[in-house]
Amino acid sequence: MSMLNKRKRIDFLYQGITYFASSISLIALAMIFYFVWSNGSGLLNLDLITKDYHAQYYNGELDENSPFSTMERPIELDENVFYSEKYGLGVSDGIDREGNPIILVVYVSSDSPLRKMQDRNSEQIISLEEDMLISKVSFNDKATALRTFGAKYMIDELDSAVDFREMVFTSIGGGIRGSIITTLYLIGMTMLVALPIGVFTAIYLNEFAKKNRMTNILRILVDTLSGVPSIIYGLMGLAVFVPLTIRTTSATSGNLISGSLTLAIILLPVIIKSTEESLKVVPDGLRQASLALGANETQTTFKVVLPSSIPGILTASLLGIGRIIGESAALIFAIGTAVKDDISITGKSTSLAVHIWSMMTDEPANIELSSTIAVIILMIVLILNIVVKFISKKLMKPLA
Amino acid sequence: MNTSTRRKKRVDQLIRSVFLVATLLSASFIIIIVIFIVIKGITPFITNNDGLGVVNVWTFLTGTVWLKGTAFQSNLYSIGFIILNTLYIAFLTLLLSLPVGVLTALFIAKIAPKKLAEFLRTIVELLASIPSIVYGLFGIGIILTFVYNLSSVFGIQSKGGNSVLATVLVLALMTLPTITAISEVAIRSVRKDIEEGSLALGATRTQTNFKVVLTSAKSGIFAAAILGIGRSLGEATAVSLVAGNAKSGPNLGLFDITTTLTSTMLQGLKETTGVDYDIRFSVGIVLMIVILITNFILNAVKKRVGNVNVK
Repeated sequence: MSMLNKRKRIDFLYQGITYFASSISLIALAMIFYFVWSNGSGLLNLDLITKDYHAQYYNGELDENSPFSTMERPIELDENVFYSEKYGLGVSDGIDREGNPIILVVYVSSDSPLRKMQDRNSEQIISLEEDMLISKVSFNDKATALRTFGAKYMIDELDSAVDFREMVFTSIGGGIRGSIITTLYLIGMTMLVALPIGVFTAIYLNEFAKKNRMTNILRILVDTLSGVPSIIYGLMGLAVFVPLTIRTTSATSGNLISGSLTLAIILLPVIIKSTEESLKVVPDGLRQASLALGANETQTTFKVVLPSSIPGILTASLLGIGRIIGESAALIFAIGTAVKDDISITGKSTSLAVHIWSMMTDEPANIELSSTIAVIILMIVLILNIVVKFISKKLMKPLA
Repeated sequence: MNTSTRRKKRVDQLIRSVFLVATLLSASFIIIIVIFIVIKGITPFITNNDGLGVVNVWTFLTGTVWLKGTAFQSNLYSIGFIILNTLYIAFLTLLLSLPVGVLTALFIAKIAPKKLAEFLRTIVELLASIPSIVYGLFGIGIILTFVYNLSSVFGIQSKGGNSVLATVLVLALMTLPTITAISEVAIRSVRKDIEEGSLALGATRTQTNFKVVLTSAKSGIFAAAILGIGRSLGEATAVSLVAGNAKSGPNLGLFDITTTLTSTMLQGLKETTGVDYDIRFSVGIVLMIVILITNFILNAVKKRVGNVNVK
């Protein structure tokens, strides 16, 4: 009896260990989600997607004809906002990520002359808006009010002077519009290259190739691709596609085309494998029936075999999109790490993942925005996963 | 043969050759990769490197300092310690992720109730689909802090948590889903009669699971380990964010900063000509060779171990 009890205790312990081991995956996933959400959700809004990443600098001066009128302080303004009735301007003190003091524009009256300033560099009309930062105001008859002197000082100086010579202000930046557009470009161009080559290869290997040594070698070569680490693909992109695109296009460095071509090769094994798997479940009877009815090989392939492999191709595409969105090492080499706002396919820019890399290797690392991008990436990957699961459950039912 | 069938035949021929071209293209990429990386990678060893002189292959493969002198002014590159670091880290990673992964797989396949098993399987799939840059971010945010605090408990000043241990923890998390998923398949494909035999002989369920099922799935579990090792050897971005970029080594202490072959390739890539650029391709060749040899050895071991099956 006591031996049985001992056995039970040991069994219980062993089982407990498996429970513990399994909980690690769950805890890890929960911590990852919690970490990116708690750091990144604060910045998550629609502005982020439409805004530029780099701050825009403006040197504004007052238009000579701009009328001055007293603008009353709006009641909804916070107590810590310093307000100038003369300019209809409300500013407050703040601290940027590096810990430097900044002066944040909280309110600009719609009648304010600051809404219609002249750009000293381009003669264009520029406007000071809410959420911009004022770095300094220079006057004709006294010392410059720098942002380091604080918001109150700047407002006092503005109010006591007749007018000012120059106001330097910046948009706040920190948006990811450029990286989103880059990611979309990469997805489109990569798929355009990888899908036809991958699907055709799968069809050839599965439908046409004779079972001989040649086919075997081809298959081994294709399979070997899937074991290559992505950083090696990156080196290849750098050594092959970057020089190739520099020679054939207007590009002068790593660019979106060289990046897409590199990604296309990374995706090939995924697409080939997934397509082949869905081709394999097409019963041979279907092919034979089609051929027996007088259709030739081409017709059979395109009208009978290919339609039934569409779920497989779809799954491959979705998995591919997930891979493109998550890829970083290869793109760091094949495109570069410069975050850009104006995107061209022959220029440098970063996908969302490389944008994170770029910010995390910067000093100081921008963990907040990185986490926000990570939240976006995780949401997309999550949705893709669910859709893939749905497709393989509903559409990939074996035929016949 | 009438003209229509002849035309059909010609279309067949054409389409067939288009497919063949696509296949040849797909198959050629691996060859292109090898050729170009080898050409670039051996340049530092066979050319004068703009007057800096040839890089010595032997010191390159055995030395203990990444670069003596300044970049672009020296040819004294060595990655001996980095090779050692890379293998050491991959080994420690496996030491963590293999037991956890296999036990998780056993739990999912044999012990957990159906609903819980399905839930955990989804969790593992999600972990597998998280991109490495997010693991890197998580590593910087959570694991570095954890390692830093842990090191101060031991009275060691670690460089902000950047260390061997942090790298191993990040890699263990990343390889865990791969190992779990493949082990689970291996465990579930163990023949039912082996299990039933064990139960009939009076072994308990748990005894059967641990002593019979796991031993029978050994070959598949080994395959999982091989894939896991492959992933930790090739992983780049996440590793380079937490490794600490050591310039000399080998770095064997758990709280020492370290560097791996991949993180070395990613460090400070600025110019696109010259020895400091080409040498990254040399590191790439070494990485591919290290992965190939590791795979070869592990597969040989797998053959010897796997054959001693409980049948």
